[in-house]
Amino acid sequence: MNLLSVDHLNVNFHFKKRELTALIDVSFNLKRGERIAIVGESGAGKSILGFSIVNLIGKPGYIHSGAIKLENKDITKMSLRQLQDIRGKRIAMIFQDPMMTLNPVITIGDQLVETIRSHTKINYKDAKNIAIEKLRNVQIASPERRFDQYPHELSGGMRQRVIIASVLLLNPDIIIADEPTTALDVTIQAEILQLLLAICRDNGVALILISHDLGVVSKVAERTLVMYAGQIVEEGPTLEIINDPQPPYTQGLLNALPQMALPGQRLNQIKGSMPSLAERPSGCAFHPRCPYATDKCRTQQPEFIYSGVSSVACFMVEDMLSEFSQDDEGQL
Amino acid sequence: MTHPLIQISGLEKTFSSETGWFGQWHLPGFKGRGKTDQIYALNGVNLTIYQGETLCVVGETGCGKSTLARSIMGLDEPSAGEIHYLDQRIDHLNNRQRMLFRRRMQMVFQNPYASLNPRMTVYQTLSEPIAFHNPQLSRLDVDEQVETLLESVGISANSSDRYPHEFSGGQRQRISLARALSVEPEFIVADEPLSALDVSVQAQVLNLMMDKQEEYNLSYLFITHDLAVVEHFANRVAVMYLGRICELANTSTLFSAPKHPYTQALLSAIPRLDSTAADPIRLIGEVPTPTEKPIGCVFQARCPYANPRCYSESPEMRLQSDGSSVACHAIEESRL
Repeated sequence: MNLLSVDHLNVNFHFKKRELTALIDVSFNLKRGERIAIVGESGAGKSILGFSIVNLIGKPGYIHSGAIKLENKDITKMSLRQLQDIRGKRIAMIFQDPMMTLNPVITIGDQLVETIRSHTKINYKDAKNIAIEKLRNVQIASPERRFDQYPHELSGGMRQRVIIASVLLLNPDIIIADEPTTALDVTIQAEILQLLLAICRDNGVALILISHDLGVVSKVAERTLVMYAGQIVEEGPTLEIINDPQPPYTQGLLNALPQMALPGQRLNQIKGSMPSLAERPSGCAFHPRCPYATDKCRTQQPEFIYSGVSSVACFMVEDMLSEFSQDDEGQL
Repeated sequence: MTHPLIQISGLEKTFSSETGWFGQWHLPGFKGRGKTDQIYALNGVNLTIYQGETLCVVGETGCGKSTLARSIMGLDEPSAGEIHYLDQRIDHLNNRQRMLFRRRMQMVFQNPYASLNPRMTVYQTLSEPIAFHNPQLSRLDVDEQVETLLESVGISANSSDRYPHEFSGGQRQRISLARALSVEPEFIVADEPLSALDVSVQAQVLNLMMDKQEEYNLSYLFITHDLAVVEHFANRVAVMYLGRICELANTSTLFSAPKHPYTQALLSAIPRLDSTAADPIRLIGEVPTPTEKPIGCVFQARCPYANPRCYSESPEMRLQSDGSSVACHAIEESRL
């Protein structure tokens, strides 16, 4: 059974004069202990998707339609009280900048203990023991000393470890990590990713990793969703997507990586940039930047189809597939 | 090889901050008696940048990369050592003398949201340096130059009356680059210009930088912690750790045969797309804050090969058989 299933989710932003759509018909499933990644450029709606899973979209945004089911309970229809039971306890979230997440005027220990005590009835001493244990789990040296320190006394990598420890306090089923390593150095990034991976594996926690770095994604996630302009354009096993990207957008994203060009040669950039919500093109949203766009792409919205490797919403892939199947019939 | 453009020798920079209750009061003409903390940001950096090359400086946060860049540009005054531009010494110039060099060397900063003045239109941002450094130009000539400059970085000239907030991050970084190019410099220092950008936008800015290098025969000092970009873009790479350079090599040499233990760990940590890549070499701990003048090798605390000599004697940069230079006792003693 699916632990989490997002079903035709639409998120809109409501302004006085107009209504903007941020997520369009987003659907995916997450099994217990599975690790998936959401990739795309800035403005693709990755973070909005992450926030809407815990129903944290603030005004003027709201969930317009669709369902987010956590074991058959619809999160979109829950009261604030029910939501508070889920946030942190069932679904926990890690944000990009650890300095923004931690309160600078409260010691790390007090923040961790507060998290435990607001969800469970445990006295301070026991909560402190749990917190120290979790700090040790994320490989923080001398956790007893760190417990009484303030966030500014820790380095960036250390702070992100504290965040991961705080997320683990209540043994959640799902961790949503929104660009957890973007603010960190490569060496620290490698450590944090290994730590996240080990924690998810050991405790059977499902992970939703939001990132724009396909290198990071390939290390951690089993399955990848590629997003563009509020829609999923490709979904499939991470390795398959990286080795054999189907839609032109995923190809462009991969080709833009410096590793993909010979040293000193020009990189293969995707021309243009992500459209803003207000200027969403008709048809397939990627068509103004797509080198293979046809008239059909400009007017019609592509449906999701299975390409044999991954699920793709793209007319080019669709046409290629139908050509192939016709060839097969011809040979028979 | 071509001529050296910038030569840096024995560059040191120490920042001091007064701590304690007393040190926080800044009274005019009154020197606090509080204890002072010293931060040793650069500890004897020797580096030569050649004309027309791209030299990348890599290293973790706090290793002194940005201080090095700022010292070259004259934004921070070095505590010791010399910086030569061609054959003139430039590290202790006053503002007036430095002006001549300001037009020959320019800088692109990390965060395009912070480095462009939000209250100046793109036209004002670009025309100011042009008009200042070329007082003989008429208003019309300046207009024309701004226009060609904007077009050359891929921004349409009719958006020159817009303010920075109306542009996306990649466009803003291109405007920053246009501003740096506006005085036709020979040398550009780029301090992590791509780190605030997406992969696809990164590619756009990187392509633009390569085009401009070809066009004007620019030299770049490129500071970054993204090694994938380095591999693609640099001619030579300097690896920095705690205010010292520990390895300097041609890009292909460095990536195919990293020698210093720190370089090896750094390279193994790049998230590669192919799943066959080995697990990263784990370094214990993080870059320490250099509050004490380092004795011995700066990398000693995290190095798996450290021996008593590494704790007492600081290693010199030594030329290796393949043309790279490494500062490491273990390599010198062929323990590695």
